[in-house]
Amino acid sequence: MTASAISSTLVEIVQAETGTNPAKCYQCKRCTAGCPVAGYADLHPAQIIRAVQLGDLETAAKSKFIWLCTGCETCTTRCPQGIDVAGVMDELRMIARREGLVPKDAPFADILQLNYESMARWGRLYEIELIARYKLKRPSAATDDLLLGAKMFLKGKLALTPTLGDRAQMKRMVREAEKVTAEREKGARLKAGES
Amino acid sequence: MTAKKKLAYYPGCSLHSTAKELDESFRASAAALDLELAEIPDWVCCGNTAAHATNRVLAAALPANELAKVVDMGLDAVAVPCAACFSRFKTSVHELEQEQMRADVARVIGRVYNGDVGVRNLVDVYYDEIGLDQLKARTVRPLTGVTAVAYYGCLLTRPPEVTLAEDPEYPTRMDDLLRAMGATVADWSYKTDCCGASLALCEQSIVAGLTKQILTNAADSGAEAVVCACPLCQANLDTRQDEIAAADPSFRKLPVFYLSQVVGLAVGVPTAQLGFRRHMVPVDGIVNRVLRS
Repeated sequence: MTASAISSTLVEIVQAETGTNPAKCYQCKRCTAGCPVAGYADLHPAQIIRAVQLGDLETAAKSKFIWLCTGCETCTTRCPQGIDVAGVMDELRMIARREGLVPKDAPFADILQLNYESMARWGRLYEIELIARYKLKRPSAATDDLLLGAKMFLKGKLALTPTLGDRAQMKRMVREAEKVTAEREKGARLKAGES
Repeated sequence: MTAKKKLAYYPGCSLHSTAKELDESFRASAAALDLELAEIPDWVCCGNTAAHATNRVLAAALPANELAKVVDMGLDAVAVPCAACFSRFKTSVHELEQEQMRADVARVIGRVYNGDVGVRNLVDVYYDEIGLDQLKARTVRPLTGVTAVAYYGCLLTRPPEVTLAEDPEYPTRMDDLLRAMGATVADWSYKTDCCGASLALCEQSIVAGLTKQILTNAADSGAEAVVCACPLCQANLDTRQDEIAAADPSFRKLPVFYLSQVVGLAVGVPTAQLGFRRHMVPVDGIVNRVLRS
């Protein structure tokens, strides 16, 4: 898919997936005012929404902001236009992944990916494995929180082995959900191609 | 005598590791209050932030799969003490109102779930299943003289369309519970501000910045302890205080309790069952004061 095909439908895709319309944003910036991480990022939530309105996927997907959003839902709760702003960030993360636009310098993107794999593999989140894999992937973070980790381990707050739930059912659900989503995306692409 | 109340119990991943004391104290306090908990057999992860940032259908399906099992257990409500899991469960219930999502989820979990199991967070379990009067009546170790703030964080109340919280910007249920147990509850400005959540694993300086603001406002408001109801909130507030204090000598450290630990303490659960030794910032000062009074 070409960039222009995406941009012409970005608002529609986001609207279809979040059930709310980002085109309604009039830049009051209540989302930004209440955002805990806007001050730590390159762009703020209202700017991301503007980029979506303009069909500028590249700006939105490559911003630091969407990979710092904690999902605290303050923006969604306060938006006077009823836009699910946090849901838009989730949608942009999914689109960015699909289109290969995840920036290299986005540690939280790595965490989310490893977290997803851990959950899908074990049925439950296996925290020590997640942390170890993250540190392998990002050697610059290798020594972060080692002392804290050791303290937590001594206090019995980090389990060495995973606790397992119904792994077979988890694997089935992940496989089926990925299939359903792939079918949906294919449908959306065909529609975009026709227009 | 009324029949013993029984709820299904979904602990979630954190309660088996970083939030072990939430699991310990929740079970112990429930037992002391005659609330029976039946853990959902072979439960799997609710999907957490990773699922809803990766695959919308899976994010809705994972909680629905657990809720369907609650139906099989013959129960009509489930206790979900982790605020992040609670949020995923309530979001799933909300999304299942859409026909297409219902069909997709049914395909993924391999059955139809009709969506009528009640989902209770930690605060609601004590507030709705036990009640303020009962909690007051069962308090044998009143928290008299302890000044605390109730920290709700993000996901117990937001977004209100999903959580159905009465007042998402200024919740008071946990304040009421603490008062019922005899505590003095301070009013403050950061009740529902974000602690940084799962940024804890990779953006430590942001988490330290956010938690410093929260803890400083709590101390400035006269609190000597923070009481919370979320594993991410507790971990973030409790684990960063050493480094915050090292960088700023004027910073006052505060112990960070789970609501279930405080309830357990008040209703007479032996302290060894409440996980107090697992805290980073020691809680002994306050716990011993309550035990002595």
